[in-house]
Amino acid sequence: MAHLEIKNLHARTGDIEILKGVNLEISQGEVHALMGPNGSGKSTLSSVIMGHPDYEVTEGDILLDGESLLEMDPEERAIAGLFLCFQYPVAIPGVSISNFLKKAVDARHPEGKAPSGPFLKEMRENMAYLDMDPKFANRGLNEGFSGGEKKRMEILQMMMFKPTMAIMDETDSGLDIDALQVVSKGVNKLRGPDLGLLVITHYERILTYIQPDHLHILMEGRVVMSGGPELVKQLEENGYDWVREQASLPA
Amino acid sequence: MPTLNLPLTEEPSLLPGFDETVLESARSGEHALLQAKRTAAYERYSVIPNPEAFHEEYRRMNPDLFRFPSFTRLDIPNESVEVASSDADEHYDVVIAVSPTGYRIQDRTGVLSQEGVNVLTLDAAAREFPNLLEQSIGTAMVADEQRKFLDLNGAFWNVGFFIYVRKKVELPNGILIRYYNDQAGTTLLPKLVVVAEQESRFAIAEEFSSPDGVETLCVSGREFHLDAAADVKLISLQGWGNKGIHIGEDWARVKRDGKVDLFSMTFGGCVSKMTVGCDVCEPNANAYLGGVFFADEHQHFDQKTLQYHSAPDTYSNMMYKGAVKDHGYSVYQGIIRALKHCVGVDSYQTNNNLVLDATARADSLPGLIIDADELACSHGATFGNLDQEQLYYLRSRGVPEGEARRMLVMGFFDEVIDRIPFKPLQDHLHSVIARKFGSL
Repeated sequence: MAHLEIKNLHARTGDIEILKGVNLEISQGEVHALMGPNGSGKSTLSSVIMGHPDYEVTEGDILLDGESLLEMDPEERAIAGLFLCFQYPVAIPGVSISNFLKKAVDARHPEGKAPSGPFLKEMRENMAYLDMDPKFANRGLNEGFSGGEKKRMEILQMMMFKPTMAIMDETDSGLDIDALQVVSKGVNKLRGPDLGLLVITHYERILTYIQPDHLHILMEGRVVMSGGPELVKQLEENGYDWVREQASLPA
Repeated sequence: MPTLNLPLTEEPSLLPGFDETVLESARSGEHALLQAKRTAAYERYSVIPNPEAFHEEYRRMNPDLFRFPSFTRLDIPNESVEVASSDADEHYDVVIAVSPTGYRIQDRTGVLSQEGVNVLTLDAAAREFPNLLEQSIGTAMVADEQRKFLDLNGAFWNVGFFIYVRKKVELPNGILIRYYNDQAGTTLLPKLVVVAEQESRFAIAEEFSSPDGVETLCVSGREFHLDAAADVKLISLQGWGNKGIHIGEDWARVKRDGKVDLFSMTFGGCVSKMTVGCDVCEPNANAYLGGVFFADEHQHFDQKTLQYHSAPDTYSNMMYKGAVKDHGYSVYQGIIRALKHCVGVDSYQTNNNLVLDATARADSLPGLIIDADELACSHGATFGNLDQEQLYYLRSRGVPEGEARRMLVMGFFDEVIDRIPFKPLQDHLHSVIARKFGSL
């Protein structure tokens, strides 16, 4: 049973401390939402969990199944079962989607190389499920993709790599309602006892499609409030000010 | 009058080893047409100044590299000899193999016995197609250019071929020309003249190789004449051993609806200077200049392109992609030129450089000379190491760092390599790049 545990996490980039003691626990099978105003550290948290080289952890720990991730490279974290759905996926011209997916699937295969036939079949099925044109497979990764296409590409990868713990970093940003529905359809297909999910978002809207079991509010680098799905409605109606007050943070 | 503070030029002198005595020996016993062409080239060559550091074109090179005191002209017998086969041969219709002892033209699929395709030595062509050759040798080059090394090749070439493809004829598998030189201190001067009649379609691959440690010089000259709607591709792979010096001049003239693709792939030797120029001279003519180069271990690669638009509604696209590491140095200089009446020109020039470590250097000098209105020309150059965000993205997907770097380097070059029509050559390029890239 995969379990992600973030303990008193402090992290900085350059001289700026962004995370100031984050505590969060997610178990396989659960869906957690993380909300917070702009600049609260949401995206930094996802980058730090995945191991982005620009961030330095100064205190605390991140444990996956009891093992610290801090000394692991991003690729080792991915193989350990972690997946980050990027807010702004980069384009890599010249690296085709099928080649990229194959290399990443190979890296997870016990013999270092997954058989091509089943791989291609699975890729085509997943693309069809996400309403993606099969011709996309030969295109450069995210090259010339619209925002919606990039996010579908992220979900396609999640379907291919079958992580035990996934973080979605503002996957809903920049998506129109149709793309959001397709993306949510993909996520909900994966949802279940095998996947722990952290949905980071700025807006409540995505949480009507991907309903969380738990909701956390991040402010000024710390989780200041946690609760059940009912918190979503409270935030929608009252904004963040009352949270700020309760957490005795300056307005 | 302001005075320019330039150093005084010496009288143009002849490179040692390339003088009138050598010219006479090259001309002896040859068809009069070729003799006349050699003499004309020699006359031009002998009045064009030698490369000097204050010539813009050589400013970033050591001109002493172009003195060649120790190289003599290789005397290649004009006769067909047995030349060892290569694994690559089987993929082509016709294979020309050249070594210091002679040449061999092999018709692998029988295309030469059919009407419409001729692949022969220049000597044979002078007898069979004198008028055509008279019009084609030394005429593909853009007007008002002075190219000393093209004329050096024109005067002293020691192996030459003529490829002539008739109207509407297509070669399914193309032509491979392999050059090999293992004679230290010698100069190979290959000449290639290609005439593509209306709507003909074919591709030519060229490979240059020599053993490591053997000092060789090559001065290559290639000319391409494309008639209406002809489609010709040249893919040249410079893979000399580590003591090779390569100088190459490629010039193409493309008529109405024609399309030429000139790929220049530079990996070998210690010094290389390639010049590729095309004149898109009738409406709807199109040229693509593709370049891939990778300089390491003190290699110095210099490349120059000229996209010359001498007619309205002509198109050209140039993309040169290079990597440098480990004291490698590359220079790219390029010009898009559109003449006065040439409206509707559409032309691009892109040079991207991967600078893989701090000991290596890449210079890029793209440029436009535009004398017309209502056209679209753009140029751009980029420099940088591998993109760290791309690297992080691949790694976050579980791809190991070494593999991720390799994928990014291949992806960088594939924008050009994917356009090469020969799959075995693509694979070969990938393996050369992978070897050069090593474990960085």
